[in-house]
Amino acid sequence: MGEAKRKLLDHPLPWLAPTLLLLAVFQLYPMLEAILMSFTNETLVRTGTQFVGPEQYIRLATDPEFWDMLRVTAIFAFSSVVLHVLLGLILALAIDYGVRRGLPGHLTTRVSVLLAWIVPGIIIGLVWKVMLVENQFGAVNHFLGLLNIGPVPFRSDPTLALVSTIIAGTWRGTAFTMIMIYGGLQRVPQRLYEAARVDGAGRWARFRHVTLPQLKPVLFVTTVLVTIYSLNTFDLIFALTGGGPGRATQVLALFMYQEAFQDYALGRGAAIAVVMLVANLLLTGVYLYAFDVGDEI
Amino acid sequence: MNEDAPRDGDGEGTADGRTDGGASEVGMAASGGTAPEERSVAGRVRGRLAQFGRLDLSVYALYLLAIAFFVFPVLWVASASLRPPGELFSYPFRLLPAEISLSAYRRVFRAGMVTWLFNSTVITIVGVGSVIAVSVPAAYAFSRFEFTGRRGLLGIVLLFQMISPVIIIVPLYTVMSTLGLLRTRVGLILLYVGIQTPFSIWLLKGYFDTIPQELDYAARIDGCNRFQTLRHVLLRPVAPGIAVVAIFNTVLTWSEFVLAFTVLGSESRLHTISIGVYKFQGQYSNDWRAIAAASVVGMLPLVIVFLGLQRYFVKGLIKGSLKGQ
Repeated sequence: MGEAKRKLLDHPLPWLAPTLLLLAVFQLYPMLEAILMSFTNETLVRTGTQFVGPEQYIRLATDPEFWDMLRVTAIFAFSSVVLHVLLGLILALAIDYGVRRGLPGHLTTRVSVLLAWIVPGIIIGLVWKVMLVENQFGAVNHFLGLLNIGPVPFRSDPTLALVSTIIAGTWRGTAFTMIMIYGGLQRVPQRLYEAARVDGAGRWARFRHVTLPQLKPVLFVTTVLVTIYSLNTFDLIFALTGGGPGRATQVLALFMYQEAFQDYALGRGAAIAVVMLVANLLLTGVYLYAFDVGDEI
Repeated sequence: MNEDAPRDGDGEGTADGRTDGGASEVGMAASGGTAPEERSVAGRVRGRLAQFGRLDLSVYALYLLAIAFFVFPVLWVASASLRPPGELFSYPFRLLPAEISLSAYRRVFRAGMVTWLFNSTVITIVGVGSVIAVSVPAAYAFSRFEFTGRRGLLGIVLLFQMISPVIIIVPLYTVMSTLGLLRTRVGLILLYVGIQTPFSIWLLKGYFDTIPQELDYAARIDGCNRFQTLRHVLLRPVAPGIAVVAIFNTVLTWSEFVLAFTVLGSESRLHTISIGVYKFQGQYSNDWRAIAAASVVGMLPLVIVFLGLQRYFVKGLIKGSLKGQ
């Protein structure tokens, strides 16, 4: 008995079985099912699902709304990524500088940035809703009013609504880029700085010719990861603008959700999901390639 | 104090240590000011002030801006939630309430907040416990066994980690429906375990990999089977990793919205805090005080957990995202 048990435990399967089962049921199967579903006209309300070939994709490709959605998603993702990485880089450098120089306050700064990151997405939407109230009593509008600006219609103007979602998204996600880049800064070999200093390089030259090149891999990977997260953003926009006004802030994830669960068009929702899946897979491929994860496995 | 002041940029070894040793300063961060820290190093700071270059000043300005940008919205929501009816929209504009009123909170709690808090707490505790129970053995296997398909399997696990559950929400709905798991908390917990396991395995495998195999061999010679080895020998050195996984998944589970919203349906007694708060704001869309109060209740538990444990967060973020470095 003890021997049989020992033999059993010497095989990897019992250790992995629960994981494999869960992954198969809740990740692998749904992913394959999404692809299958996207070739059907399945709905939530009617039985008699039929295989319709690429019809859903053709309908998407010929639907101007879909292209609008893609545009909104691209603007949201691109602006978010630029802001995330820039802000994260600046903050990481400032905190690294503060740590090395023993400036008090760097920890408070780090904790403040991270604080925003743990607020639940839905609540971030609401927090910014409260911040951006569109009369002179909204906090942001009050301060703008002191500068004789506004009140600004942050959520009812289509362009400003998109800007507001980008700001709220950046508010949440900068913690991630900051920490990643800060981690990268700690891995820059100090002898490079010393060598640069011996060569008479000033602060800017050291940043330009030592820090930046050394950070390149981290910056790249961070950018890819943030792009993936931004492309899949749902909860924050759902709560802040609900995709509106009109469809001004309707990113792909929201579009998919509405097609599937408000219009009950599961097939069409699945087709949008596959579009997102392809984007995610491509970016993941880039990430793996950049990282050479194969070495570590 | 003059010897250590010009040490600009050569503190490589101490940088990490100083940051991680900062747990005791978290309390000061929570109170929103730098006063206690400044007092303890007041002498040094005053001595240095004379040497403050322009760069130090701009870095300080940046700190202040960052703290304002990242903390002000949270404080403003807290301040808005504590006002009596009408005060929020009356002259003059006030940053702090003129008088404190809990009426917004009473309204939120009457709407069912206790049930939502209870559901979120149960789902988070059971869910995170299950994630650990499933991912520790798997991470052990990936770290300690050599078997064919290991690399491929790990690659797939990583792939699943990268793909957002939002994408598969449509087929997940039908899967949950087929399994009879719609509108059940158990179903949502199982789903969370399935979604969160990949990241947890990766993170834990990293911790297992740092433990020398000699420990395993020694235990085996002493007659332990693999399970006993894991339990009595390896669990202790992996404990920090398990802590990081627990913290991470606690935040994820507590914050999760779209899966819960889809799986739990419309019955208020099943709702988690995120759904409850979302539905609540839909009902009281013009009552900003109530929305603010609901937001505060929804984020407060996480904020408290986080302020106590933020340094583990940083470790986890770096370790979990930077595979291979």
